[in-house]
Amino acid sequence: MLMCRDLAVIASDYIDGELTGRQNLSVKMHLMMCKACRTFIGNLRASTELMQAHSSGHPNEDLLRRIDQQVAEALRTRKSRSGDQE
Amino acid sequence: MPVRDGSEQDLIMLLKAQDDQAFHEAVSTYTPGMLAVARFYLDPSTAEEVVQDCWVTVVDAIGKFEGRSGLKTWLHRIVANRCKNKLRSGKREVATDFSESLEPELAERFNATGRWDVPPRLQFHESADTLMENGALSDCLDKHLSALPETQRSALILYEAHQHKSEDVCNILDVSASNLRVLLHRARQKIFLMVETFQETGEC
Repeated sequence: MLMCRDLAVIASDYIDGELTGRQNLSVKMHLMMCKACRTFIGNLRASTELMQAHSSGHPNEDLLRRIDQQVAEALRTRKSRSGDQE
Repeated sequence: MPVRDGSEQDLIMLLKAQDDQAFHEAVSTYTPGMLAVARFYLDPSTAEEVVQDCWVTVVDAIGKFEGRSGLKTWLHRIVANRCKNKLRSGKREVATDFSESLEPELAERFNATGRWDVPPRLQFHESADTLMENGALSDCLDKHLSALPETQRSALILYEAHQHKSEDVCNILDVSASNLRVLLHRARQKIFLMVETFQETGEC
C-alpha cells in the first residue's frame, strides 16, 4: 500500500503526469482517503505555479547594457567588413 | 516572458538582417534564460562573461541558424556548449547528489510507518498570481531561489519559468531524465517549505 511518505517522493511526477497508469491510480486512491496528502499535493502544485508565475533570474540592468553595447559593436564591425568586401 | 510563437519567425528574420533593435529585444528577452543555463555550470561572474561572449558569437552565427529547434533552445545550447568547454579546460566538475528525492526537512515530517507526523498545516488558498502580488513573498522567493544549489535552480528556472520541455532541459544541462526529476522535485519541495513558513509566520 502506498504510504504518505511514498506519495511525497513521487509527488512531482504525479503533478507532471509522469507516472505509470498503475502508480497514478494508487496515488489517486490514497488521495481519496488522506486529507493531509491532498493538502500537500495542492500546496506543492501551488508552489510550482508560483515558480512559473515568477519570472526569475532577471539579470541586472548593467549586464544587459554591457551586452547591448558589445552586440552593437559586433554588428558595426560585421557591417563594415561586409561593406569592404562589396 | 513574452510568448513569441508566430512572431519568433519575424524576430529571427530581423536578427539575420543584423537589425540593431531586434538584437536589443532578443538580448533582453533571452539573456535571463541563458544566464540560468550558464549558472548551472559556472560561478556567477564567469557565467555573465560567458553569456556576454555568446551574444557576440550569435551576431555571426545567426546566419547559420536553420530553425530546427526554437531560437531559445538554440541559444541555450550555445551557452551550454561554451560552458562545457570552459569546464573541460578548467577541469571543474559539476557535482550533484541525486540519491535523495526528499528534502531532509520534509523527510523528518513522516513517522516510521511512513505516515505524516507533521502534516501540511495550511492550504495555500490563493492562486499563484494573487500570491505573486504580495511583494514580500516575491522577494522571499527571490531570496530562496538564489540560495538553491545551482543545479536545482537552473533546472527549476529552465523547466518552470522558461517552460522548456524536459528533454530539452536534459539536453542543455547534460543530466539524465531521472536526475532531472530529482532536481525538480527537490527544488519544488524547498519552495513549498518556504511558502508554508511564509504563510504561517509572515516571515521569510
